[in-house]
Amino acid sequence: MTFIKNYVNMLSGASSSFILLSVLFLFIVYFCLLDGRVRSRGGMAMLAFGILLTVGGLIFSFPTFVLGLTYLASMFLLAWLGPRIWEKRIGLYILVILSVAFGLSMLDPQFFLIAGKPDNVPIAAMIFLLGFFTWLALRKAYLNDRAMAAGGIPFEKTESDEKLFTWPDLVYTEMLCMIILSVVMVVWSLALRAPLEEAANPTTSPNPAKAPWYFLGLQEMLVYFDPWLAGVVLPTLIVVGLMAIPYIDTNPRGNGYYSFRERKWELGIFLYGFLVLWSFLIITGTFLRGPNWNFFGPYEYWDLNKLVPLVSINLSELIWVKALGMPLPKLWLIREFFGLALVGLYLALPPILARVGFRRFYLKMGAARYYVGTFLFLMMMSLPIKMFLRWLFNLKYIVQVQEVFFNI
Amino acid sequence: MKPQEPIPHNYSMQTLNKIFAISSIALLMVTGAMVGYDYIRGWKKFQFEFLRMQRQRIEQEIKTASDAQTADRLRELDKQVKVSQREIAKNREQYRASQAEAERWEGKHYAADQDFRFAKATLDAARYETELAITQKARDAGARRRDYAERSAHVDQLQIRLQEVTRSRDAARARADVWVKKVKDLEDQRSETTAAIDRLNKQLTTVSANSHFFILNAPMLDFINPTFKVDQVVLKDMFVDMNYMGVPRVDRCTTCHRAIDRQGFESKKEAARMQGELESKLDAFKIQPQQVEDTRARIEQLKKIQAGPRDILNPYRTHPKLDTFVGSASPHPMSDYGCTACHRGSDRATEFGRAGHTPMSRKQERRWSKGWDYDKRNWGYKVNPFLDTPMYPRQNLQAGCVKCHAGQVSINQGEEITRGTRMVELYGCHACHKISNWRFSNLRKPGPDLTGIAEKTTPQWAIRWIAEPHEFRSTTRMPSFFYQRNMVDPHVVERREREGNIKKQDAEVHAITSYLFDKSTRRKWIGGMGGDAQRGASLVESVGCLGCHVTTESFTEEGGKVRKAKRDDFPLERNYGFNLTGTGTKSNPDWLFNWLKNPKGYYHDAPMPDLRLTDQEAADITAYLMTLQKRDFMQRPVRNVDRAALRELSKSYLINTLTDKDAEARLKSMSDNDQLVYLGQRTIEKYGCYSCHTIKGFDGLKPIGTELTIEGSKNLHLFDFGFAHDYKAHDGKKEHILHTVPSWIYTKTRSPRVWDDKREKNYHDKLKMPNFHLSVDEANSITSVVLGLTKEKVDSAKLAGSDSRSRIIEEGRKSISQHNCRACHVLDGYGRAIAQTISDPGMLPPDLTPQGERVQSEWLFNFLKDPTVMTMRPWLSVRMPTFHFSDQETNTLVTHFAAAGNVSQFDTTRNLVPDARSVAVGQQIFNMLRCIQCHPTGPAAATASADAASLAPALNLARVRLRHDWIPDWVRRPNEIIPGTKMPTNFPRDPKDGHFISPLADAINSPAFAAQKSGLLPYFRDEAELTKTMSDAVALTNYLRDYIWTLGPSQMRTASPAPEGLKTIVPTDRGSPSIGKARGTPEVKVERAGR
Repeated sequence: MTFIKNYVNMLSGASSSFILLSVLFLFIVYFCLLDGRVRSRGGMAMLAFGILLTVGGLIFSFPTFVLGLTYLASMFLLAWLGPRIWEKRIGLYILVILSVAFGLSMLDPQFFLIAGKPDNVPIAAMIFLLGFFTWLALRKAYLNDRAMAAGGIPFEKTESDEKLFTWPDLVYTEMLCMIILSVVMVVWSLALRAPLEEAANPTTSPNPAKAPWYFLGLQEMLVYFDPWLAGVVLPTLIVVGLMAIPYIDTNPRGNGYYSFRERKWELGIFLYGFLVLWSFLIITGTFLRGPNWNFFGPYEYWDLNKLVPLVSINLSELIWVKALGMPLPKLWLIREFFGLALVGLYLALPPILARVGFRRFYLKMGAARYYVGTFLFLMMMSLPIKMFLRWLFNLKYIVQVQEVFFNI
Repeated sequence: MKPQEPIPHNYSMQTLNKIFAISSIALLMVTGAMVGYDYIRGWKKFQFEFLRMQRQRIEQEIKTASDAQTADRLRELDKQVKVSQREIAKNREQYRASQAEAERWEGKHYAADQDFRFAKATLDAARYETELAITQKARDAGARRRDYAERSAHVDQLQIRLQEVTRSRDAARARADVWVKKVKDLEDQRSETTAAIDRLNKQLTTVSANSHFFILNAPMLDFINPTFKVDQVVLKDMFVDMNYMGVPRVDRCTTCHRAIDRQGFESKKEAARMQGELESKLDAFKIQPQQVEDTRARIEQLKKIQAGPRDILNPYRTHPKLDTFVGSASPHPMSDYGCTACHRGSDRATEFGRAGHTPMSRKQERRWSKGWDYDKRNWGYKVNPFLDTPMYPRQNLQAGCVKCHAGQVSINQGEEITRGTRMVELYGCHACHKISNWRFSNLRKPGPDLTGIAEKTTPQWAIRWIAEPHEFRSTTRMPSFFYQRNMVDPHVVERREREGNIKKQDAEVHAITSYLFDKSTRRKWIGGMGGDAQRGASLVESVGCLGCHVTTESFTEEGGKVRKAKRDDFPLERNYGFNLTGTGTKSNPDWLFNWLKNPKGYYHDAPMPDLRLTDQEAADITAYLMTLQKRDFMQRPVRNVDRAALRELSKSYLINTLTDKDAEARLKSMSDNDQLVYLGQRTIEKYGCYSCHTIKGFDGLKPIGTELTIEGSKNLHLFDFGFAHDYKAHDGKKEHILHTVPSWIYTKTRSPRVWDDKREKNYHDKLKMPNFHLSVDEANSITSVVLGLTKEKVDSAKLAGSDSRSRIIEEGRKSISQHNCRACHVLDGYGRAIAQTISDPGMLPPDLTPQGERVQSEWLFNFLKDPTVMTMRPWLSVRMPTFHFSDQETNTLVTHFAAAGNVSQFDTTRNLVPDARSVAVGQQIFNMLRCIQCHPTGPAAATASADAASLAPALNLARVRLRHDWIPDWVRRPNEIIPGTKMPTNFPRDPKDGHFISPLADAINSPAFAAQKSGLLPYFRDEAELTKTMSDAVALTNYLRDYIWTLGPSQMRTASPAPEGLKTIVPTDRGSPSIGKARGTPEVKVERAGR
């Protein structure tokens, strides 16, 4: 038991859990949705990366080794399961296994303290709901894809076009939903009371001080970005980007029915952003961030006194001081030259990509849609990139101009 | 018609209906549950239980009230009623006729009354119209006036008629009433008999569960006027600090603490205490005559409580000391002060844990924490770390007094906090920890001046003393800085580090000693010769040294077990001066002689007063003190300084300002001794020795401790609990640490370094607070004081002692506390620690509780400045010391006493000349009362009697000393003013109304006083007047006073100004003989040895 707990605690470190979730996402897409095989080019590449991770971990760091092993294990598991994961029976198995794991975890006092907290119950529920509905949608998409590949039509099209009565088919069921939901809400509010707490005291803020659960993803972003980016620019782009989707995504296929193959980029990007970059960060912020915003495994005691060294470093320091052995130039323009260049390069990627790599999209979408879409995509990807830079090089800021409070 | 085709549906209607049915029932049930959850509250259970208790009590009382006697009386009355009714029945015809007559007149009266009232109403309206017409000069004004006059006359007529009708009606009614009068009277009697029971029954209905009760308290209906409701007191001028604003307190404590302001629910202990208090008050006539009966009834009630089968437990108890707290007649009525203003806690909360109850011990916390069970007193308690103001735990209750009473030295009914405050002052907490309030500002440094330490003692002693003062004197206030838990305790510090620490501590101790002796002045003191230790010993016992000093280190417990004394075995006052044991080991006899002669000559802040010892006396005492040896102490091994440790420590300070290389060079240039002195200076700085002691080279340095001015408001998360959960204190007691602020402060005082347990710290970063070896009680008292130091702001109207008179009184009290006057005198009703050592109460220093109203301010001023100006009781061996007060200090005390006695400071009564008749009468009374038996009337008589203990102050001193109004008052009621005084009560009080009874009223007519009677008669008109005067205590005592007024001189010697050289007085010269030399002007000569 302790072994399993330690194993889970180790895997839920900020970098490990993020990497694991990202690759799981990749595995599911590759092996379960796109019928990929291990003995294919992609499969072999993944395998190679996994072996690299394991061997590298064995030499350099134990957690990475554990991560590598888990990577390989889950890769083979998902490759073995393949599309069978969409079978109802397998889905049920997964649900049962996860529920049992969750239930057993509740026996652990630390886990219970965090997961059993009334505030956190909806998030625990969200994990299950999110998983279930994602599984359901992908299952339908896969079935349709298979049917269409076999020359058939999507399931939704087979449903009759005949008309139904408002009463009872609509109103009655809506009323039932209303009643049942009311019952659930009342029971919930009775079971998990919301107490009136003490008067707010500016000198005694709770530690950890957490945003409302739906903002925890944003709060998690603050770990990696300057507030103006994480708190202003990125949220704005998220909202704008979501609004822009219908105008960017003009792919007519998949309308009115579930399908993955017909819109694998659109769905892939969206699901990655929503599941990994948003929902997962919320879950992280809720369950794994403890006092002083330190990372704690799910079975770890939230020790107020835990100290983690703050040794992150700026790109300018990395280049000027460490690599070139010089003091930092006084003028910020020179000091931050490399960082600025790097950021400029990143922002200049869309036109470059239009020629190599993304040419296909450029031609399909047209210039305007392509540039907006790629820009938004790059912005989205800046988060995982920054996260990896932090984990790999302890990189604090790529550009830091304290003089004007401008940090990237 | 064809039957309609079945409509196709997506869902089966039957299934939907089933779901609908089930979910609707579920909704109904959860709604019910919701109401239920809202309805069931913890406090309702308490209120219900309290109703039950009240019901039980009332039923019990009804049972007692309806005894057999009452029942008999009622039966008798009922019988009489029946007889009377039978009589009425016999004369039914007449009775009915008179009834009818009365009713007819009733009707007529009704009509007449109505006529009159209507006419009057019309008239009033007409008056208005008329006045309007007149003002507006209307044409019909004249007509209206006439009309008004007519109406007015009509109303008068109607009134007369009404009066006639009323008279007739009353007569008719009286005729009719004759018949029923008897029955009515009997019924009145009956209800009188049952009045008490009726009242109780009425009360019973208010606490019984009747039909109303259930409707009023039904769920969803209980918003109208429920029996169970949240009870609250709104305090408009007591604020809860909400960080951005103050919100008026709304104390809801009484929701559960139902009986807090109701008498009759006291605990047995409190009831016993109160009974004793009330009885002694009754005996002393301190209760108003009209309240005596109520008091007796209350005593009965208290007895009943004590006889009850079970003690009443909280939350149903009455607040203790209801006459001081919570009671409506007390100084802290609940309507003005509520509960949380003193107790703290969450004012609006109605649940146990949320209200902020704080456990007093781990045991209590454990009990509270278990579920909810009233009988086992489990309350489902959980720590709420976010509550800024949890309640004070029981042992620190009096912390709540401080915020309003910080301007007072002693708090009435707050003995613990008063004692704690005095302890903080004496032990010197305020010296290292700044406390910015009136009480702890402008105090002298608590420790002795060390600038001349070399004159007083030896380095060998000082090293051992600094290392472990408690080994030398178990009662010392000097705390232990070295070899403490975080440095040497084998359970806390691992071996290698411990060894290093011991070496470093050794070096620091040596270094401090080196510094002190290096910088010390070295004046040469010439001691006395020919001292006799035995004489000295008896002098120490008799002149008053034992008021401030203790001469023993062993203490006999109640069981007869002898153990080493602890500080709180003795009253605080006797710990004021150091324990004299071991003085001989410590002191240089020459220095000691001079110190005894004139402490201020050694340093001007010396707390020891001048007892005006002659050289011989001083030499005797010196000889005696030098016999108090502690040779064992000097045998204690002293380890040599480890050179490496010395270097390391010195370097650790040097590299604060120098680079490693420079520091090394600097060290090389210093000799070992230089290094020691350098390290000594740094170490004194590190431990803050200069906060308590004056040490050369540390002027103006800030104290090193955390400021405590608002420590009580500091939030829990600002206290570092480290990794400690329990600890073993110096007295071997194992104690648990609760995660509460009071527990933290308590632990810090008991075991100051416990927070270093299991921590990795550099040598200099380790905690430095020394160990005062506080007992549990001492630590609790000090904790209460610190907890009471909050940032809460109190409305000026509620600040105690803020008016100008109180300020004068409190300044005086502060001075009294600082000069330890209570060592010898009773002040404000307590003190006189010296009484422990003087068996004869006649030889005790005076009780000064009524000093202001007793003595003239002018006399007091002179006496304080120089007690030799008058000797009231020459037979006393205890001496009033000379404090060498400045005029200002003296005035502080004089004005204090005048203000405390509520008298004006100066008056002209000293110059009053009583008329001859009063004096003559007074003299006769003086003789009759035989005052001369104890009170000498002149200087010659003072030494006449050998039996000193029965003597009283000479009366020839009265005129210049006592106040004119005081004498008669004192003669009348000495025992009330100073309980236990030797002055006999000549005028006892009448136990019925509390008037004075004069013994002379009868005595004057007895043959024994025939001579006096004949001597008195000429001054009175007749014998009747004489007898009347003789029974008038006030008149008698006034005559007596007038006589006494003539006995002594009206002027007295006044104190001369203090000699200029007093503050800098230094030892007499080496060459001149000190014995036999009168206390003359000292010569100023300072010799410095070496350097």
